[in-house]
Amino acid sequence: MHQHPPARSEAKPNAPRPFRRHLRFGAFGLAALVAIGLTACGPAIGSGEAADPSKLQLPAEPKGEITIWDRSGDLYGVFDAAIAKFNEKYPDITVHHEAVDIGAKLQNTLITGTDVPDGVFLDDQLVPGFADHLWDLSDVLKPYLGDIAQQKVDVNSLDGGIYGVPWDLDPGLLFYNATALKAAGIDAESIKTYDDLLQAARDYKAFKPDAGPIHLEQSPFLGQLQLEMYASQLGTSITDAHGKLRLDSPKYQQILTFLDTVQKEGLGTRAEYLGPTDIATLDSAQQVFVPWAQWFGFAPQQLLPETTGDWRAMPLPAWSDGGPRSGAMGGSSFIIPKDAKNPGLAWLFYEFLAFDPAGYAAVYGPNDIYPNGLNTSIPSYGPAADPAKPLFGTVDALGGQDLWKVAVDAGAQIPGGVPTPTWWGGAVDYLGNNIQKMLDGTMTPEEVISVSTKDIQTNLVDRQ
Amino acid sequence: MTASSALGSRAVRRAPQRGPRWSLLRRRGAPYLFIAPFLAIFALFSVYPLIFTLRLSFTNWHGAGTAEWVGWGNYTYLLTNPGFWSSLGNSAVLWLLIVPVQVVIGLLAAVLLNSARIRMRGFYRTAFIVPFVTPLVAIAQIWVVVFDQNYGPVNDVLGFFGIPDIGWLTTSEWAKPTLALLFLWKTTGFAIIILLSGLQSIDSSLYEAASLDGATRTRQLVSITVPLVRRTLMFLVVLQTLAVFQMFAEPYVVTKGGPYSSTTTAGLFLYNHITRADLGTGAANSFLLVIIVLVLSLFFVRMLRTKD
Repeated sequence: MHQHPPARSEAKPNAPRPFRRHLRFGAFGLAALVAIGLTACGPAIGSGEAADPSKLQLPAEPKGEITIWDRSGDLYGVFDAAIAKFNEKYPDITVHHEAVDIGAKLQNTLITGTDVPDGVFLDDQLVPGFADHLWDLSDVLKPYLGDIAQQKVDVNSLDGGIYGVPWDLDPGLLFYNATALKAAGIDAESIKTYDDLLQAARDYKAFKPDAGPIHLEQSPFLGQLQLEMYASQLGTSITDAHGKLRLDSPKYQQILTFLDTVQKEGLGTRAEYLGPTDIATLDSAQQVFVPWAQWFGFAPQQLLPETTGDWRAMPLPAWSDGGPRSGAMGGSSFIIPKDAKNPGLAWLFYEFLAFDPAGYAAVYGPNDIYPNGLNTSIPSYGPAADPAKPLFGTVDALGGQDLWKVAVDAGAQIPGGVPTPTWWGGAVDYLGNNIQKMLDGTMTPEEVISVSTKDIQTNLVDRQ
Repeated sequence: MTASSALGSRAVRRAPQRGPRWSLLRRRGAPYLFIAPFLAIFALFSVYPLIFTLRLSFTNWHGAGTAEWVGWGNYTYLLTNPGFWSSLGNSAVLWLLIVPVQVVIGLLAAVLLNSARIRMRGFYRTAFIVPFVTPLVAIAQIWVVVFDQNYGPVNDVLGFFGIPDIGWLTTSEWAKPTLALLFLWKTTGFAIIILLSGLQSIDSSLYEAASLDGATRTRQLVSITVPLVRRTLMFLVVLQTLAVFQMFAEPYVVTKGGPYSSTTTAGLFLYNHITRADLGTGAANSFLLVIIVLVLSLFFVRMLRTKD
C-alpha cells in the first residue's frame, strides 16, 4: 500500500495558503527592506566630498585613556615596558596597549570606524594608503621636522600633509663574514663600490668554489624591498612624488644589471631570507656578503650558531665613487586615526617615544627584552641618533662591533625619498616576480623593466 | 452561572469584536514572530553584506571618500585579466590533484577503519583527524622545512636513491603538487570521518549475503559499498570543491601564491585586491567566484540526482 505524505492542507486545515504566503512574503520583504536600508549606509557613490583633512592640534589637558596597537612579539614587549616611563611624565593618561595583527585588522577597522584605536604602529610603506583615515600631523610635528631624517619625513608625506610620526630608520648595511673573508685573504674594508663587491665575491669564489658569496633574495616581496633599498641609495624609487612610474631609468637598469651579473657569474646564493637554505649557507660560510637592512643583525645574534661572532657590518658599497653608502629598507611610523577618541593624547604618547630622551632611551636602551638594547634599527630623530651617544651597546655576535656608530653613519647618508604608492605590495606580482625570473635566467634586466612597467601601469596605477 | 460559563460568555462577546482575521493572524503569525530574530540577524549579517558587496562591485572605492561608479568596469577588467583566469586555472588544477585522490584514499581508509578486524581502530581514527585539528601555520612551517630544496629531508631521501634535488616550493611545476599534498594531509582525516558515517549506515547483512554468494571483498566494495555511500561521496565532493576554490590560507602561509603566481588560487587572488584596498575589484571578484562555485555545486548536485 502506498503511503502518501500528508497534503499541506491536511496537515494544517485552517491555514489558507494565500494568507500564509502573504505572511511569508511580508517577512522576507521586511528582511530585504532592512538589508537595503542598511546597504544605504555604505560609501556615498559619486557625490560626496573628500573628508576634511584638518590637522591635529595639541590636547587641552593631558588626561584620559588611549588605546595603542602594536605588533605582537618582542617589539610589543619593548613598547609595553616604555609605558611606565611615559606615565612618569603623564600620570593621568592611561595607555591600553594591545598586541594586534595590524595587517589583518587595521583596514577594516578604519573603514568601518568601529573600535578604532588612538594610535597604531605601522610599516612606512602602508601609511600613504591610509592617509584619508589619518590625522595630518604636520602642525604638531613642526618643532621636530628639521631634526628628522628626510627620508622618513618624505615617506610619511602626501599632498602636503604628514600622516605618520616618523619612528625608526632602517639603513641598508653590508653584513659580511669577517672570519671567512680573512681566511680567503680578502680585506672587506677595502670594498667601496659594488664593482669592488663583485671582485671580492669572485676572489672568495676562487678560494671556496662551492660558495655563492652574495645573498640573492628568493622571496618576490623581499626581493622587491631590497631592490627599493638599492634604489633609495641612488635617490630614486618605483614612483616619483606625483605617483608617476620611474622604473624605466638608468638607475634601475644599473641595479638590475648588478643582480643579473651576480647570478650569471654564479656569485650568489639564491634563498629566501632566513629560510632553511639561507641559514645553512650563511652558517657554513658559503654566503659571506648580505646587503640588507640593519635588522639582518638579528640573524648572527639568534640564528647562526656556527658563525656568530664572525659577522660584521659596514655601510653598503656605493654605486659610484663617492656616492651615498646606504639606502632605506623598511621602517615604521606611528599613525593616529581620525576616528580616534583621544588623538591628542596619542600624539603625546608618540611624541614621548620618538622625541623625548627618556622615551627613546626606554625603547632603544637596555631593557628586560633586550638587555643590551634594541639594535635592529636606529631612531630617525637626529638628536636621538647621535653617533657619540649610543643607545644600545656593542654586539657580541658582530665581534663586539659598535653597530650603533656604523648604522647611524650609514643612516645619515640615505637620500630623501617619496611616499610609497598604495599599490606597492601589489607590484610584487609583477616587479617582484620578474626579478625572480631574471634570477632564473629567463628575463633580462631590460625585460624586467619594460614588462613590469607595462603591467604595473595597467593593473595598478591606472586602477587607482 | 458557573465561572467557566461566565468566561465563555466573555470570550463569545470578544470574538466578534476582533474578527476571525485577527485570530488567524495571531495563530499563523506566531511562527514568523519566532523566526523574526533569525531573519533580522540573517538580514544584517548575510543579506546586507551581499547587497553591499554587489553595490560595491560596480564602484571604484579604496575604503575612504567617495566611491566612483564604474558600471561593469570591474567585471570587464577581471574577465580580461590573465591573472584572474590564471588563478582559476590554479584552483582547477589543485581540484584535480586533491579531490579525486582524497575520495579514493578517504574511502579505502574509511572501509579499513570500519572493518571489525582492524585492531586499535580508535587510535587510527584519532591519528587521522590530528592533522585536521592542527593549526595550519604550524603545518606550513613544517612543510617549508621538510620540502626545502637544499636542506629538506625529502630531497635527502630522494638523493639517497640518486634523484636530483627538486624545488618543491620554488618551481612552478612542483609547487602545486606540494601544496595539494599539504591540503590532502590536513583534510583527508575529515573526509574519512564523513565517509565512515556513511559506511556505518550500511546494513551488514548485505555483506553477509554477498559473502554467501561468493562475492570477493573487491566486488563487495564496488557493488555494495560505493553505491550505498554515493550520496556521502557526492556530499564530500561538493564540500571539498567549495574548499579548494576558496582555498586561501594554505598558499598564503606556504608560498604566498608563488613561485610566479603558480599557487595563487582564486581565493588568494581575491584577497590580494582587498589588501591593496581595491575594494570594488575585490567585490566583483568575489561575485564571480560565487557564481563559479555555485555552478560547480549545482553540477555535482545534478549529477547526484541523475544517478538517483
